[in-house]
Amino acid sequence: MSADPVEEPQAPYVESPIIMTTVRVITPFVFTLGLFVMFHGADSSGGGFQGGVIVGTVVLMLGIAFGIETTRDWIGTTIPVGLVGLGVVAFLLAGIGSILLGGAFLQYDVYPIYHAAKYGMEFVELAIGLIVAGVVTGLFFVIASETTDDKEVDQ
Amino acid sequence: MITPVEAALLVFILCCAVATALLRDVLAAIIAFGAYSLGIAIIWVFLRAPDVGLTEASVGAGVMTVLLLLTIAKTTRPPDDRTFEQVNVPALAVSVLLVVSLSATLFALPAVGASDSAVATDEVTNYYLENAYEESHVKNAVTAVLASYRGFDTFGEAVVVYSAGIGLMIVLRREVLG
Repeated sequence: MSADPVEEPQAPYVESPIIMTTVRVITPFVFTLGLFVMFHGADSSGGGFQGGVIVGTVVLMLGIAFGIETTRDWIGTTIPVGLVGLGVVAFLLAGIGSILLGGAFLQYDVYPIYHAAKYGMEFVELAIGLIVAGVVTGLFFVIASETTDDKEVDQ
Repeated sequence: MITPVEAALLVFILCCAVATALLRDVLAAIIAFGAYSLGIAIIWVFLRAPDVGLTEASVGAGVMTVLLLLTIAKTTRPPDDRTFEQVNVPALAVSVLLVVSLSATLFALPAVGASDSAVATDEVTNYYLENAYEESHVKNAVTAVLASYRGFDTFGEAVVVYSAGIGLMIVLRREVLG
């Protein structure tokens, strides 16, 4: 089923020590940058959408460096979809919660926490980031798997 | 007034756009498209919209390029060695006509950064700029509008991303697994 990708010159994955080493070094920094953009969207440019894409890019880089099939087997196909659902539910609960506490939808200041508006907003950005990162990762896996399956049919 | 850097960027973006349309090799077209997205991202920064620039750079230049590259792994290169696609003259005429008629509205736009434009004098804009920090405790007014004042709209956007992404994954997975 899984032919060795190095044997196929046309396969999208080429094992390269340069790419693997580079990705291994920069992955933690890119992941941190994604989280930073997500959290720091409140005080500088950025936010959940941008940060989520950057976090999703980490998985794309891992896929390109270590093989998409390997990365998908490592992460699993259900986790990205689960993260997308979790993000929507978290966003919805943040909005419904403020209604239950007597405010309007997403009226953060009814939450009894310090700087509720700021932390509530960062919570919402994190939820958006989960949605976007999950969608980017899931689409990457699905599109890549279609490519490899077609190759196997062709041969 | 337009600076030399901005003029050079605009020329670069136009060249990349034309190259994307004309190049016959799909791989080359995708690379030109990535360069185009990067140029547009820098233009957004020049227009004081770093949030949009960040999105364009990460989605347009980053993720889109990877997804397009994965997609063209299935295609084959056309046999002949021409570098550029033949131009379809009627289609080009329709495109030029559309661009010219849309460009006619450009003269109605206020100058970038004009103090008397509707954007700068609008009541809603000024309310956000004056009250965003006291009411939402965040320094980025864009985030305050997105996540607080217009939070319900953003929730709608998140649900759109959710439905589009999950729908695509279901359809593609069915195509793959049968």
